[in-house]
Amino acid sequence: MDPTSRITLRPFKLTDVDDFLKYAGDETATRHMRWNPITSREEALTHLETVAIPHPWRRSIGLLDDDEDRSIGYISIFPGSGDDRSRANVGYILAAEYWGQGIVTAALRIAVSTVFADLPEVVRLQALVEVEHRASQRVLEKAGFLREGLLRKYGYCKGEIRDLFIYSLLSTDQRRI
Amino acid sequence: MDPEMKNSNFSEIITLRPLEVSDVDDLMVWASDERVARFCPWEPNTKREQGLDFIINRAIPHPWLRAICLNGKPIGSILVTKNSGNDACRGEIGYNLAWEHWGKGIATKAVKMAVKAVFEEWGTELERVEGLVDVENVGSQRVLEKAGFYREGLLRRYVVFKGRSRDMVLFSILCSDVENCSL
Repeated sequence: MDPTSRITLRPFKLTDVDDFLKYAGDETATRHMRWNPITSREEALTHLETVAIPHPWRRSIGLLDDDEDRSIGYISIFPGSGDDRSRANVGYILAAEYWGQGIVTAALRIAVSTVFADLPEVVRLQALVEVEHRASQRVLEKAGFLREGLLRKYGYCKGEIRDLFIYSLLSTDQRRI
Repeated sequence: MDPEMKNSNFSEIITLRPLEVSDVDDLMVWASDERVARFCPWEPNTKREQGLDFIINRAIPHPWLRAICLNGKPIGSILVTKNSGNDACRGEIGYNLAWEHWGKGIATKAVKMAVKAVFEEWGTELERVEGLVDVENVGSQRVLEKAGFYREGLLRRYVVFKGRSRDMVLFSILCSDVENCSL
């Protein structure tokens, strides 16, 4: 079954805190994120209140057949400001137990089909991915992103300077859902 | 002998130094020129006050901005922006040069000097200097290539200025690319 029809995207709620903590506190799920795992319920609540809920475009990923509507991950799209407001950075995370089923790819395709209407100033989505993170590169490629280059020693990820691939998707690119 | 000096008057010396308020009239020569401003986010300056405002409020407080001087006289400017946090290993270079001095290798020389200086001055924190050049700005792409930068890719519709989104070519040079790098 096409994974796209299994999943749903929605804004975060404070009641997501315990489900959020499950993946945001997991070393495996957060390995390639630039932030360290969240270790307390308090920290998770603060993050939801101050980051996830007021965010310009962050959506919790859930499974349609889950009666409890639990958050199992998220897609985050963050536009720049000023001269950079036409460009938005894409990030995502998924609880490890759901990996390998095409869920993030499906969620990203849904996100891409609505975000340009939601953020009308954005013409370019981009994502930076570590060279070793093949799974994430495949997600982006399947969602229609184009790899534009390898950026050498571009930035710190958890204290180490990394080479990163840059991918982009334009509002004018052909997309399939 | 420095190959860049081969075809020019041997007494032409390029130096970099901070901008001063007294440089304003020299600054206005390039800052008011449409040809210089063409691929920059700013419109040509029309009033001396704009030049003074730039020197006092942008150039002098800037972490690293220098006048490009020919025999002591400012003919352009060059800067490297600093980043913080997860981006602290990376700086971005930008420069302007008065039209009459284009095509002589001066910008290339200034870029080489600036890159060497920031890798020395910023120590182990800085690993990478990058430059973003408009896809149509072939002259500036050649400057960075001649200065030893690698072309990493074309970033599509990367930035908006003067009302249009622009494709930008991304170049970079690493500390390890530069001869006698201290790292």
